[in-house]
Amino acid sequence: MNVLGLTFEKREQSSRLWQLLMVLLAIIFALVLSGLLIFLSGADVGKAFAGLYGGAFGTRKALIETLVKATPLILTGLAAVIAFRGKVMNIGAEGQFLAGAMAGYWAILTFSWMSPFFYFSMILFFAFIGGAICGLIPGLLKGLLKVDETIVTVMMNYVVEFVLSFLLSGPWQAAGKFYKFSEEIPTSAHYGLVFPNTRLHYGFIVALVTTIIVYWILQKTRLGYEIRSIGLNPAASKFKGINVPRTIITIMLISGGIAGLGGIGEVIGIQHRMRMDISNGAGFTGIIIAMLAGLNPLAVVIVAIFMGGLLNGSNRMQIFSNVPTALVYAMQAIVLLSLLAFQVLAKYRIRRAAGNE
Amino acid sequence: MESSTPLLQTIKLTKHFGGVIANKDVSFDIKPGEIHCLLGENGAGKTTLAECLYGYYYPDGGEIWFKQERVNIASPHDAIKLGIGMVHQHFILVRPLSVIENIIVGTDAAQLFLNLSTASKKVEQLCRDYDISLDLSAKIWQLSVGEQQWVEILKALFVGIKLLILDEPTAVLTPQEAEKLFVILRKMKASGLSILFITHKLHEVLEVSDRVTVLRKGEKVATVFTPDVDRAELAKMMVGREVFFRVNKETLQPGDPVLEVINLRAKNDRGQESLCGISMNIRAGEIVGIAGISGNGQKDLFESIVGVKPVHSGNIRFSGQDITNKPVHAIASLGMAHIPEDRLKEGLVPEFSVAENLMLGLHKHRFFKIWGGLVDAKEVKTFADTCIKDFDIVTPSSGHTTRNLSGGNIQKVIIARELSGHPKCLVANQPTRGLDVGAIEYVHTQLLNQCKAGTAILIISDDLDEIMNLADRILVIFKGRIVGELDPQTASRQEIGLLMAGCVDGEQL
Amino acid sequence: MNNIFQLSIIISMLSGMIRIGTPILLAALGELVTERAGILNLGVEGIMLTGAFVGFLVANQTGSIPLALLAAMIAGGVMSLIMAFMAATLKVNQVVTGLALNLLASGITFYWYRVAFTGVSVTPTIEIMKVVKIPFLSNIPVIGEVLFSQHLLTYFTFLMVPAIWYFMNKTKYGLEIRSLGENPRAIDIKGINVTRLQYLATIFGGIMGGLGGAFLTIVSAGIFLPDMSAGRGWLAIVVVISGNWQPFGMVLAAFVFSFFEAFQLQAQSLGVQFPYELLLALPYVIAIIFLVVSRARSEAPAQLGEPYHRE
Repeated sequence: MNVLGLTFEKREQSSRLWQLLMVLLAIIFALVLSGLLIFLSGADVGKAFAGLYGGAFGTRKALIETLVKATPLILTGLAAVIAFRGKVMNIGAEGQFLAGAMAGYWAILTFSWMSPFFYFSMILFFAFIGGAICGLIPGLLKGLLKVDETIVTVMMNYVVEFVLSFLLSGPWQAAGKFYKFSEEIPTSAHYGLVFPNTRLHYGFIVALVTTIIVYWILQKTRLGYEIRSIGLNPAASKFKGINVPRTIITIMLISGGIAGLGGIGEVIGIQHRMRMDISNGAGFTGIIIAMLAGLNPLAVVIVAIFMGGLLNGSNRMQIFSNVPTALVYAMQAIVLLSLLAFQVLAKYRIRRAAGNE
Repeated sequence: MESSTPLLQTIKLTKHFGGVIANKDVSFDIKPGEIHCLLGENGAGKTTLAECLYGYYYPDGGEIWFKQERVNIASPHDAIKLGIGMVHQHFILVRPLSVIENIIVGTDAAQLFLNLSTASKKVEQLCRDYDISLDLSAKIWQLSVGEQQWVEILKALFVGIKLLILDEPTAVLTPQEAEKLFVILRKMKASGLSILFITHKLHEVLEVSDRVTVLRKGEKVATVFTPDVDRAELAKMMVGREVFFRVNKETLQPGDPVLEVINLRAKNDRGQESLCGISMNIRAGEIVGIAGISGNGQKDLFESIVGVKPVHSGNIRFSGQDITNKPVHAIASLGMAHIPEDRLKEGLVPEFSVAENLMLGLHKHRFFKIWGGLVDAKEVKTFADTCIKDFDIVTPSSGHTTRNLSGGNIQKVIIARELSGHPKCLVANQPTRGLDVGAIEYVHTQLLNQCKAGTAILIISDDLDEIMNLADRILVIFKGRIVGELDPQTASRQEIGLLMAGCVDGEQL
Repeated sequence: MNNIFQLSIIISMLSGMIRIGTPILLAALGELVTERAGILNLGVEGIMLTGAFVGFLVANQTGSIPLALLAAMIAGGVMSLIMAFMAATLKVNQVVTGLALNLLASGITFYWYRVAFTGVSVTPTIEIMKVVKIPFLSNIPVIGEVLFSQHLLTYFTFLMVPAIWYFMNKTKYGLEIRSLGENPRAIDIKGINVTRLQYLATIFGGIMGGLGGAFLTIVSAGIFLPDMSAGRGWLAIVVVISGNWQPFGMVLAAFVFSFFEAFQLQAQSLGVQFPYELLLALPYVIAIIFLVVSRARSEAPAQLGEPYHRE
């Protein structure tokens, strides 16, 4: 028993370290594989990685742009964290992102007569609500009807996308334009800039604040306690009086809302209009980020910045070495897959050692 | 027709799980053409022994001999190849598939292009031989439990086994189906097969077996020829002699009834009635023990009282209030505490810290300020430290992950959490299962202290010793009913054992 | 609006329904086998995309359609091999793995498309497969045009429906796979290699998915666009659920979905003023409804998505 105890304790003490190690291993493995892909395509691997790094973190300007790219990812990452902590497989952040953007855009159109403070509050409020409602539907289906949320949330992504497409081809379409985007939003609805002459907007601050709030909720509140409890052991939670369905619904509301904030951020911070492509896969990237961050909200910021760096640096990589920017999406997926694999391999070793009783 | 060379023999078979010894030096043998019963209470080690013979478990010590050769059974596949088949309590059938499909999958009879007719003919012949009537094209889920069992038996017969192990086969059968099963078993014996029949029901042993091996607490008590014993002797062997040590228990004067259960009826997960009209009460300052073989409704009774399981008829009254089908936290806030059967699955969140687990359930009304918006870390820590001290929990710190504690300490966490609030009523389901002697002593001391303080305690346990030691009154549960109430001071283990096996006033229920 | 009810329009719509439903059905048939073996492969979307791209690339580079189809099938198989390894050997979370596969496919196909066609100013195209009219049958009024004036791949799909049904219900491996998904222990005891069977079932699913994806480029579009699978892989998964894991039931579900897209295309080409996006969204809404309705009586393999541990 002592040997067993020792083995387990080791794992517990180094679990943070171990987790980090697995993530690093996964990233290294992904870099190696990507390098291989680049090499196979005939491009210069060195130049590609140099471009990638330089474009991501090389200059102050690059770093700031990386933060810009990271902003929506932090929020979708947080959305995934809150859901996954409760073992709710919310794959619908993509749709909730758009739904929040749409609801926020509607608020932009509707409340433009308000004073700036209230105007902005309305915009953010409705963006949250929009994302939350989008999350509510799968939440209700799971909580009350026990319908699995995985596919429902994915289906919602498409539905929301088509609704947006409909709106941007009709009522919201910029007058006289052929493409699917809206008129520009009034400057009073723009996010202010953190640094002048950059693209870093207050959405980044909102993302950081949301990070603290999500951390707070999970670690410091009764709700977060219950979320963690049902995520780790729904049976015991039920035995001790936690209302599992209600908690699930709450999770989906919050998760959707946070994703919605990410959506509106792109509208009022970057695009300054409503378009089809404001997300760029942010919802799915958020899931990868959450997994890499070990479902830790604070780590989400770091991982999101890393991902933002990948996205940002990919442009320079393409310029320097002709490697298409799309590679970074493949890299993200490879990191996730390798992380899953390495986590299992690590567990397996420890279990083997513990099994020698 | 008796031959003396055994078909199967175990020599000092030993199996343990972690620190718990499930089988110790068990040596017995089974002859060809014999129905051999394996008798014992829950936890006696019957199933473990059988699983070692079937290859699910690998013995830690001892030998297995089959047909005069030493064999190494590392998997069920090995067992089947040798000719050993097993029918488990929980059938291993593929529910949406048909009988014949279940039988032939994985056998040589399954050709690339399935020809069910050849195999069907063979199975039909088997059915005729053993007088089984079964629609081979019926899907498993359409069959009654008894019929499903026949499918399991046919699976084994189809591949030509020599020894069939049956684990508590009549646990899920009606008396009529059980009779039918015995007829089949006798026919199998007549054709030279051997049967190892695991049971805790005395009358079955007497009715169907040639010999019986009795296990108790992992060890073999005796192997006897069935005609040589009677029910009373078997009961004595099964539950053991009178134990001489008793926990020092003061007899207190119990107070008013705190918990009343009135004609409670509930269904289990499969839709069958598991509680068939239970009525009982527990008074303040008294310990009521529910004795019985597991699977007779204990778990459902426990869950109904706690509030996790809905009941469809009857009432539960707690401190004068009707708590039937009320939500868990409402019942808990009236002063109900519980210790569940499965520590890690139902009792706490293993990945939480000790402090977090001590809060579980109590977190609804305590430990958070600002309407749940801010955790009161100081209150959490103080409470945790108090619990650790008062209940002697051995842990490096209150922030330590609960999963890493020893089983006994994990139970201490649960007990600390449940008892710290001085509950009016405590229901405990198998509170000392899997614990070592020291931990068991601890749990018992805690329960007795709580009883002295006036709590009404209900303890459900497979361990008769435990109940005899602790309870002021013993209720015996059988098939969802209370079949007897006994005073541990005057009742004999034999009496209790008979009731546990469903023998009431000489009648078999 | 009168036009829409003319027979020729209806025929055109139904014919389109069959054509558009083919890739979904193909992928769904493959996923059916995978899921029956207990593996929930959510990476169908990515596998279809991979098949679409590889098929397109090979067709473009070699001009040989059979070669392109073969390559697409292999590509689908390779993608699903990853899934099999993660799910059956490493026993990780199947849902996350499937998602990761989708993202991987999305990135790699787009990347490789760019790499393969750098500096090309004109959009690369391939010659799409032609319709093959079945003699005699295609002359039957209405039905002949709808069912028997399709592409070879569609006829193949038609044949695969009963073929898969037969395989699952009347062959040894089908029996083993069906048992696997419901109760792996039952066949593990009998000495059948559960892991190997899961690999085979998953790879088969990938091959079919790749083929279904190839249909999108080689038969329908003639070009490749990023993420052109556009949710069809997900619809394939819903088709399996809605069809209650039965090949013939799935046919109905697949064509319900594709009907709406065909209807929408037809309406668009007729200049009908109808919010076509909402029609496009309809399959996904219906999918959700199917999921709600079928949650109770579903015949999902009992161990679907659950890694099998021998202990």
